[in-house]
Amino acid sequence: MFRSRSGSWFGGSGSKPKNPHSLEHLKYLYNVMIKNQTVSESNRSLLVESLRSITEILIWGDQNDSSVFDFFLEKNMLSFFLRIMKQKCGSFVCVQLLQTLNILFENIRNETSLYYLLSNNHVNCIIVHKFDFSDEEVMAYYISFLKTLSLKLNVHTIHFFFNENTNDFPLYTEAIKFFNHSESMVRIAVRTLTLNVYKVGDEAMLNFIRDRTAAPYFSNLVWFIGNHIVELDNCVRADADHQSRGRLSDLVAEHLDHIHYVNDILCLSIDNLNEVLVEQLFQRLLLPLYINSLNKGQIQTKSGDRPMVSRVVSLFLLSQIFLIIHHKPLVVTILKLLINFEGNQIMPSGSNHESSVAIEDNITDEEKEQRMSSSTAVSSNSTSNLTSHLETILDCLDPAENDYEALFGLSLLYAMGQNRGVNEDQPFWNTTEWKSILIAKLVLLLTSACQMTSKIRPVTVDLAINLLIAVAIPNPPNHHGLDDKNLAVLEQAKEESIMVARTFFKSEDMFLELFEAEVNEIIKRPLQVEYLLQDSSILLPPTGTPMTGIEFTKRLPCGEVERARRAIRVFVLMRRLSLAISEEVETQLPLVCVQQCIKISDILDLNNSDLIACTVVNREGTRLRRFLVIDPIQLILVEPDSRRLGWGVAKFVGFLQDVEVTGDKDDSRCLHVTVHNSPTSTTFLSDRSPAHRLPQLAARFVFDDHIRCMAAKQRLSKGRIKARQRKMHLIGKILDVNTSTPSSPPPGTLHALRQDSIARTRHALLGRGVPGNLGISAAGTAFPSPFGIRPIVRCSCVLQTSSNNSNPSTFTLVRAPLGVVSHHVIISRSSISSMRIRPNSKILGQV
Amino acid sequence: MSYAYLFKYIIIGDTGVGKSCLLLQFTDKRFQPVHDLTIGVEFGARMITIDGKQIKLQIWDTAGQEAFRSITRSYYRGAAGALLVYDITRRDTFNHLTTWLEDARQHSNSNMVIMLIGNKSDLESRREVKKEEGEAFAREHGLVFMETSAKTAANVEEAFINTAREIYEKIQEGVFDINNEANGIKLGPQHLPSNANTPSGGASASQGGSCC
Repeated sequence: MFRSRSGSWFGGSGSKPKNPHSLEHLKYLYNVMIKNQTVSESNRSLLVESLRSITEILIWGDQNDSSVFDFFLEKNMLSFFLRIMKQKCGSFVCVQLLQTLNILFENIRNETSLYYLLSNNHVNCIIVHKFDFSDEEVMAYYISFLKTLSLKLNVHTIHFFFNENTNDFPLYTEAIKFFNHSESMVRIAVRTLTLNVYKVGDEAMLNFIRDRTAAPYFSNLVWFIGNHIVELDNCVRADADHQSRGRLSDLVAEHLDHIHYVNDILCLSIDNLNEVLVEQLFQRLLLPLYINSLNKGQIQTKSGDRPMVSRVVSLFLLSQIFLIIHHKPLVVTILKLLINFEGNQIMPSGSNHESSVAIEDNITDEEKEQRMSSSTAVSSNSTSNLTSHLETILDCLDPAENDYEALFGLSLLYAMGQNRGVNEDQPFWNTTEWKSILIAKLVLLLTSACQMTSKIRPVTVDLAINLLIAVAIPNPPNHHGLDDKNLAVLEQAKEESIMVARTFFKSEDMFLELFEAEVNEIIKRPLQVEYLLQDSSILLPPTGTPMTGIEFTKRLPCGEVERARRAIRVFVLMRRLSLAISEEVETQLPLVCVQQCIKISDILDLNNSDLIACTVVNREGTRLRRFLVIDPIQLILVEPDSRRLGWGVAKFVGFLQDVEVTGDKDDSRCLHVTVHNSPTSTTFLSDRSPAHRLPQLAARFVFDDHIRCMAAKQRLSKGRIKARQRKMHLIGKILDVNTSTPSSPPPGTLHALRQDSIARTRHALLGRGVPGNLGISAAGTAFPSPFGIRPIVRCSCVLQTSSNNSNPSTFTLVRAPLGVVSHHVIISRSSISSMRIRPNSKILGQV
Repeated sequence: MSYAYLFKYIIIGDTGVGKSCLLLQFTDKRFQPVHDLTIGVEFGARMITIDGKQIKLQIWDTAGQEAFRSITRSYYRGAAGALLVYDITRRDTFNHLTTWLEDARQHSNSNMVIMLIGNKSDLESRREVKKEEGEAFAREHGLVFMETSAKTAANVEEAFINTAREIYEKIQEGVFDINNEANGIKLGPQHLPSNANTPSGGASASQGGSCC
């Protein structure tokens, strides 16, 4: 006793135990707390540190020693927390307390320990404590604490928070007071908490939520969504010049957040709650604002009513609803209202907010309810005597000055078509009598899109085609539902798109690059309507200038190159449609099949191939010994295979078409070789990757003498021309352009690689180049390939991942890289006529 | 305590990779990691100094909320920085990075700074993911990379501070719209024209390297 008293300067009953994680230490801290019940300037830090240590011991005890919790409970130590909190002690102590509690509840794993902590009502007292919420830090820690607690909820622990007898559920009711807090992280935490609460599924608790809080909470939620939308609409209206894109994109994202939140609640399938939510959503938001705005010209707006939004915004919002929410009762109701011609029978009433039910932080539930009840539901005969909404939607698809409305009409129809709630019983499109009208409109839209001067953006074409496929070919085993007339019109449209593309084929120097880039884009990044509708830029009137930063597909082309790109894209999309209708598989695009190319670490039989030894020196100056092999379409750097004589391992591959070669002024044995990163290269990286901008290879190739150097240069230059000619020839075939007769195969390429006869035939077929100057003057005279040189090769930094190939067995030599391509030549004509037009000249004549 | 900027961070990655421990290690050093005790936290804040400017970091752990799409997407959107964490002793956590990254890129604002963290670097003997693999992944996707240990505190400080520095640099370059709070960046009270609402009580008490 003596020793302990003397050793403590703060009046504790014992000296500080050595082991910080022990029951003894907790007892010691208990005494500290007893001695310091009043918070003062001098003991503040001590108290805070003691609380922290207590937490640490508790967590340790939870994991290691149950006696710790016994003691904690016996001494009712949680009450210290509360007592300190109740003394106006400033945010420092409050923050520490909240953080400590947070850590405590977050880390308790033992159910029993958790029950101990919750067993008296202290936690609820802490929850209802009026902290200084104007302090950002206090607010953040407080809401995190509530969120942490909500993550601990289950059917057992819920009873510590929800008192059925007194109808008291502070955790929930306190949290939802902050649901519209200015700080986004606070709002998210509140939403998380509500979802965690609903998820528990305790019936009494859910009844409480529904009876006491659901109507005001949900109506407030709906009210704020409505406010956001009106703001969004204003933003769209006021922004013809694309000045406040940032704000608009926030508002769109915000709306998506709201809808996803609603959907997350609906997905919990709590019928009681969902009924209230659906009712609120429908009556106070979807009907009065979203749906009625479609035909707002015909609705007399009463003063005090919510303003309507523009048709484009309304279509946009409805599309988002159908894309995200699949809750059957809700989507089916909207759908019926939208597509039913007798719309007035569907919904009895629509109500509008009369009073602005704004909710400030910290207003009570009673207040909320009062406010809500004052906003009486006003019935409006909103849907009678109107042009049907369906007609409006379909009319959007008609060719107009631009495709502003068309894009959203398409997205709404598409979203309806793929909504699970709508399509549950049978595919939506099968049940609609207006399917044929829709098909005809789509066909007309596509026809217009294929014209040279069309004002329809590529994304609209893509979406229209997706929709047409969904409508006309809903289940692949069945044949399409297009009649002869539509087929003929589509065929005509496709021909038109070919003609437009052909004009650029002749005039545009970069046609090959553009063509491959577009094909690649379409394959790699197919249109995803959900992503499209997250992009706020489409809400603004279509523009042509790339200076807005709007993606190419979502605007009109600007300049000749972009017009060529558009023409190519429309053609490729139309081709896809045509193949889909005739149930054929694309065999010609992309021009090069990546699977058939030689890849890094493939093992090649190079006996009898032309090999040129060289040293590859990269930018950092590292030197690698390699052999240069030139295949009809690829440049390959190999290293001799240590296991088999005459074989080599590919260490680098690049497409010849992307090669740029220049000589060295000072060294006649030296070439500067750059292999650009093109969309066709196997290692092509995504746009956002920083490696995207770097060339695949940029290095100096040093040869043994100038003869070999010249030979390599000539082969590379010629190879580049030939490779490009070959591809242009293929494109020409696809576009029905009459290209001249190809010449004989080029000498010196990888004959040895193509061992079997089939491959050789293919090679011969493809080896034929297309005459015509592609503007490359570097081609020199052919040199016989230098044999028997000592190989010295070095390769650049880009020679990456060769080691990790899990299957280094062999490269099948039969797999000629150009196999597919040759295949193309044979069938190219057939797919063009694949729409199976029956010889019905009358119909064709109409077009 | 007043600050020039407030940056909001999120921590993402598979469960069990040590996200909340990293967070606690960074925000409250008084919790000494010891072998028989694992402690984490879901939220924390701390003041740091960059270029002589006081910057407050607010870090939110998104764990346990993955089931709710609305929650994850909102978190991403509201953050200026993200720590994408995997566990070097569990290959699967590394394999899932692509999915995490896609999600992050899809929902976040395009300027969000993402730092890749290979955690548990103290468990060298159980390592399943080579450091080079992490580096390669980071390089390919344009991320900053670091291996950390919440246990030994190795690189924890650096991970958070380097991310902050990158955000700070982006602000200096004018990439971030700092007036738009949706980006996860907030101007401190003294930067706002009229705001007398500086929290008073705790301002003096930020010593101890704790969570103010």
